[in-house]
Amino acid sequence: MGLLSSFIDLSYLKVGDPLDFISGENIGLVLFFIGIYGLLARRNIIKTVISLGIIQSAIILFFLTINYEPNRLPPLGDVTTATSVDPIPQALMITAIVIGVAVTAVSLTMFISLYHHYGTTNWLKVINKRRDDT
Amino acid sequence: MFLFWLILLPIVFALLGYLIQRKNLQLLMVIAQLIIFGIAVYSYIMVYRYGAVRATLGYDNSFIAISLVADQIGSLFVMLSCFLFLMMLIYNYHKHYMNQLFLFLFMVLQGLINGIFLSNDFFDLYALLEVATVTVAVLIMFKKDSQSIYDGMVYLLTNLVAMTFFLLGIGYLYKIFGHLDFETIKSLMPEIKNPRTLILPYTLLITSIGLKSAIMPLFSWLPRAHGTPSAPSIVSAILSGLYVKGGLYLLIRFQDTFSYHLDTSKVFLVMGFLTAVIGFIFALSQTDIKLILAYHTVSQIGLIIFGLSMGSEYSYYGAIYHIINHAIFKSTLFLTAGIIIEEYQTRDIRQIRGVFKRMPYIAVIMIIAIMGITGAPLFNGSVSKYLIQKGTTYSNTLEFALIVINLGTIISFVKYATMLFGDHEERYKVRLNQKIALGLLASITFIGGLFGQHFVNFIFHQHIQITPVSWLNKTIVYTISLTIGILFYKYLYKKIRFFHTMREIELTFNEIIYSIIFFFSGFLGYMMIAF
Repeated sequence: MGLLSSFIDLSYLKVGDPLDFISGENIGLVLFFIGIYGLLARRNIIKTVISLGIIQSAIILFFLTINYEPNRLPPLGDVTTATSVDPIPQALMITAIVIGVAVTAVSLTMFISLYHHYGTTNWLKVINKRRDDT
Repeated sequence: MFLFWLILLPIVFALLGYLIQRKNLQLLMVIAQLIIFGIAVYSYIMVYRYGAVRATLGYDNSFIAISLVADQIGSLFVMLSCFLFLMMLIYNYHKHYMNQLFLFLFMVLQGLINGIFLSNDFFDLYALLEVATVTVAVLIMFKKDSQSIYDGMVYLLTNLVAMTFFLLGIGYLYKIFGHLDFETIKSLMPEIKNPRTLILPYTLLITSIGLKSAIMPLFSWLPRAHGTPSAPSIVSAILSGLYVKGGLYLLIRFQDTFSYHLDTSKVFLVMGFLTAVIGFIFALSQTDIKLILAYHTVSQIGLIIFGLSMGSEYSYYGAIYHIINHAIFKSTLFLTAGIIIEEYQTRDIRQIRGVFKRMPYIAVIMIIAIMGITGAPLFNGSVSKYLIQKGTTYSNTLEFALIVINLGTIISFVKYATMLFGDHEERYKVRLNQKIALGLLASITFIGGLFGQHFVNFIFHQHIQITPVSWLNKTIVYTISLTIGILFYKYLYKKIRFFHTMREIELTFNEIIYSIIFFFSGFLGYMMIAF
């Protein structure tokens, strides 16, 4: 939003500014539901894993901006709590990123061995072949 | 500080076992389990005597630091978990697939489950559940059978989706409260002026925990994961007996935390009943013995949620006692089913006959466990079901619902018990370690029923009396239900085509995600109208 307002003078807009809607929080939510759509509508297993990745980034964006206030410093080095942003969501998100990487790696590894067994990337085809096996 | 050891010790021992490649690794692990069980008993006694124990790591400021809290119920469940893991390792002492990797994953899972029962912080819970999901998925597909790879994959991805809902819910909670501590959030609850702000985080959290504990539309991943053909039977036993209870335990805690503003026990009463009914209908329609047991877990979870949401103190205690009982007899049933499958080389209940003649010891253990799960008088299931029933006295509908659930359980176990009968010449020899483990579990099923009221009084500091008249009453109801069950199975069951169509139902991954979204939007809609 900072970039946009430096190009256009938007200072006359008062409370209820429609551009306030474009905050990290709301974009995070929109991305979350885009990811959910991907999980619902795509039958490709790789795309399922990608959708999960989108959801994870959405949540990270959401967390980092929930308690955001302008003109705060990053919580690094010698800053008092009065001037720095809330450090807890950032600390939590580092953990979430690590977990997310590990989880994506595990799902892709599992997908590889599933692919070796069934030779397809499609959920429906996998379930049909599985029925034929039994 | 001993609380941290309950989580750390299994993982440390698992690592040690993985690194020291010794021949008698199993012995080391059993000794390790004995030590951990000792600590769990010690912590339970401490909590019982002196009240909830709190252990804080890092700063002493409890708002920021990571803290573990062992309360009455949490420490009881930790003790149960350590006991079951000890039994599982004794039971599987001789198996060749118990290599370092399997033991490593299995013991890490124990640490994580203990952590779930002790954790006091939403984000810690997220991390524990996520790692536990990965561990369980690898354990399910440990034998690398093609079927179990699919089951493990579906399990992993659906649970990961549920955990993203959990994490988003945590984000909203942090935005509202600025804390992620259970106790702090509970104490800050009265400060919230507008309860509607809590609806979205609550719904997100309940969706993910509902999937973990397999509530009605969200259970379709459970039977596949718990009853997958090639998963080792101790993994099935732990998953069905213990791991699902982690979800239930979190449900109890979340309801407790949010109950100040959002009291949803009525919805959960209905959902518990539906879960129980659908669970036993599915269990009746299956022919695979592991799948019957797995669907049965769904049904019993419904019963437990039903009891928890009844709003009566008796049924609440009954439901918690039933969680413990179910852990014991369901793991016994899974272990015996594992032996039967190994011996008969089939999982189809129509082809297994003459278990009683072929392996009498296993058959006796199985009968005791079935008596427990159907709530026969003098077995532990009857005590917990009696307590749940005692809470229904204010409403006839509830009592009727409970009888319907129990009748369903009995019918499906009449079907399960058909494999006991029939002729067979050979004798199967049970190994000593399996005899010990199964014998201990079965005797707890019996002792827990015989001295059930003393146990309940001891655990919950209550004075509940079960009179001989109510025992007699219960025996009559049980005999009538059993007769109806046998008659239904003999004369009606095979004529109903409905069960055949039920057997074919299997949701694809996208449909499971659809059911999650359906649950989420439905619950959100209900909450928007009701509050």
